[in-house]
Amino acid sequence: MPPSLTICPRFATPASQPSNCESAINTVGLKFPGYARLREIKFYLNGKETTVEVPPAYTLLETLRYVLRLTGTKEGCGRGDCGECTVLLDGVPVHACLTLMSQVEGRSVVTVEGIERDHRLIRAFVEEGAVQCGHCTPGIVVAANHLLKEVPRPTEEVVREALRGNLCRCTGYVKIVRAVLKAAGD
Amino acid sequence: MQHLADVEVHLARSLREALELLSTGKRFKVLAGGTDLIVQLRTGAMPKTDLLDISRVDELRYIRFDDGVLRIGALTTFMEIYESDLVRRYAPVLSEAAFTAGSFQIMNKGTIGGNIVNASPAADSLPPLYVLDAELVIVGPRGERVVGIRDFYRGYKRLDLREDELVAEVRIRPPGDGYIGHFFKHGLRRGDAISVVNGAVLIDVSRDGVVGDARIALGAVAPTVVRSPNAERVLIGSRLTKEVMWRAAEAVLKDISPIDDIRGSADYRRELSVNYVFMTLYRIAREAGGDA
Repeated sequence: MPPSLTICPRFATPASQPSNCESAINTVGLKFPGYARLREIKFYLNGKETTVEVPPAYTLLETLRYVLRLTGTKEGCGRGDCGECTVLLDGVPVHACLTLMSQVEGRSVVTVEGIERDHRLIRAFVEEGAVQCGHCTPGIVVAANHLLKEVPRPTEEVVREALRGNLCRCTGYVKIVRAVLKAAGD
Repeated sequence: MQHLADVEVHLARSLREALELLSTGKRFKVLAGGTDLIVQLRTGAMPKTDLLDISRVDELRYIRFDDGVLRIGALTTFMEIYESDLVRRYAPVLSEAAFTAGSFQIMNKGTIGGNIVNASPAADSLPPLYVLDAELVIVGPRGERVVGIRDFYRGYKRLDLREDELVAEVRIRPPGDGYIGHFFKHGLRRGDAISVVNGAVLIDVSRDGVVGDARIALGAVAPTVVRSPNAERVLIGSRLTKEVMWRAAEAVLKDISPIDDIRGSADYRRELSVNYVFMTLYRIAREAGGDA
């Protein structure tokens, strides 16, 4: 059995060592002998057909960040509580950290990178100052963008309900909600 | 948090394929939505084993109403249940529970079958299924069998389910228009939390102020979800006065055996159970136009 490795040793790495967890995963996680057979998995990422070779129980989040190097999707809690890794799977918001690659095969995934940079929602976040540390922002943008597609003119209550799975520890949500409502009004 | 790169996943694309893989004698954990299973595997709460991914078995994803029975496929998500007009009409108490089961991200992925087989005593779909006297359709190599939800759970995470069987469908006979039911949940956070205590109350209010039938189920207060026959007995045949409702609410204490854990103490759970049952009864009494 291969040793059990912490997936992203951000806080565990001594200062003297490079803390590049991406390369750690690529060398240890993917190439380590004894791991499950790599599987070729084809899916649609932000509209483009994409093929990766990963262990089938690798999470979508690990694949996005460490294999495809799309680091817009963040890992917060890694257990479905914080919503930082929110992506759309076949058009609905899910946690990328709780989605295994075997569940992704043949399906469509949209990450924050799939939303245009000058999208009205992103503009509204900037204009309203709805970002502080920024770690929760990609997940919230993905979830809010989905909401505005489903409900173009949501009330404040609906916005808060749709974002109840996205934690922000900086802002107290006031400006985030204001930004989403502003984007809806534009 | 550990990665699962060494976990083998077998993918089943149809129910037949899934049953064939299960009957090979290999040991699998069945993966549906994965909203709890993946957490348990990654935190090490559950030892790593091969997975059987049935999340693509679309034939188990449906909500139908025929012959007076509401049928929900095991892989139907909480969001699909919440958005279903059929569920809202025939089992509104389940609709309420589906909405509070988790964030939208969890609701889009978590399935009712996964919630049932995961067998957490705090599972939000279970108190509604207990008061609705739901039945489970279980399929295996020897065919199909039907088990009542209360008989399915034999103890803490002990199920009437063999290793080569799958839960395929939930069947609900709608209780009728004379019933009003509500789900309640106390979580430590409103948006997305595991229940400290949850429950469902379903009352037949059609008999002119006198309770014809009463069904109360509570979760996270015993090794399995439990019904409260003591509280139900207080209510049946009585009027929903404040005094009766308090007596019924306090009677649930005889049917529960909560423990201390990270989400709350046993005492706190007892206190919550009594108060939530009272509040839910009070809400039902008001909706029924009673004298509460």
